[in-house]
Amino acid sequence: MTPIEWAVLAFVLGCALATALLRDVLASIIAFAAYSLGIAVIWLVLRAPDVGLTEAAVGAGVTTVLFLLTIAKTVRPAGDDLFVDVDLTAVGVSGLLVAALASTLPALPPIGSASTPVATSRVTAYYLENAYPETGVKNAVTAVLAAYRGFDTLGEAVVVFAALIGLLVVLDRGVLA
Amino acid sequence: MSSPSTADGDDEFTVGDAPARPYVESPIIMATVRIVAPFVFTLGAFVMFHGADSAGGGFQGGVIVGTVILMIAIAFGVGPTRDWLSSSFLTVLVVSGVALFMGIGLAAVAFGGAFLEYTAIPVSNASKYGIELVEVGIGIIVSGTVVGLFFALAAGHANDDAEGVEE
Repeated sequence: MTPIEWAVLAFVLGCALATALLRDVLASIIAFAAYSLGIAVIWLVLRAPDVGLTEAAVGAGVTTVLFLLTIAKTVRPAGDDLFVDVDLTAVGVSGLLVAALASTLPALPPIGSASTPVATSRVTAYYLENAYPETGVKNAVTAVLAAYRGFDTLGEAVVVFAALIGLLVVLDRGVLA
Repeated sequence: MSSPSTADGDDEFTVGDAPARPYVESPIIMATVRIVAPFVFTLGAFVMFHGADSAGGGFQGGVIVGTVILMIAIAFGVGPTRDWLSSSFLTVLVVSGVALFMGIGLAAVAFGGAFLEYTAIPVSNASKYGIELVEVGIGIIVSGTVVGLFFALAAGHANDDAEGVEE
């Protein structure tokens, strides 16, 4: 790991803690947006630019705006404390969850390792060899997304569509106005 | 500066030190958005169309294109922007995105292939153009949904209208 990667990790961790601990919801949302931006950089470090682009656009951009719109309709709790009172039970449960997840970390291969199951799998080799001749697009991710797994992607697109319809139903509105 | 809405019936309705109504008319924000918006829109369209050859695609590009409308709404007010984009336009847009995606799948069926089998369509480079069109369909769905979610959340629950939350 390079110093830059350590710095991004520390930034993400700090933003996550700030999101959880800050009492002011507005400050918490801003910390969460910074957290998403840090995660987007981590996706780039992990060689996943498509995911990083999504994280930056959705996580840091649109979600933040939607959260801001939502808290504009809420009431701020009284008091001037900077941080929330920490619930020790919640900290214990979170600690256990993190410990359980962290126990799987040593099993992960190093970043960019050529001997990972993902890199050596026959499926990966097939996509890398045949994606361009068979689909005519250079980005193998897009080839898998829109051609080899086009039906899945249609389902995803319809899920996004359904989210909008669902929200309109929950808000009891027939139209967007 | 706009003053807190008096129609709320609740004088403590504030977030931080901001007034209850999120919209503040600022010439700086309006001028910035006016300059930045075309570039953001172009970036979104680029990410959407160029997803076949580089990082990106319909989902990411659609969100970036949708963000343009969010920026305009924040700078010029949610209400006027919503009136400018009529709600039926947004609904038709989102539905046409789904229809475009499914239409390409069904077109392949019509030419005797399987659902979404682009190469069955008798056009040169059918697969490439089919994927591009599908990405555009996804982009239309996503951008319409992002803008729709924004307007729907800004408008709030149907019963809120009586309390004057409407921008």
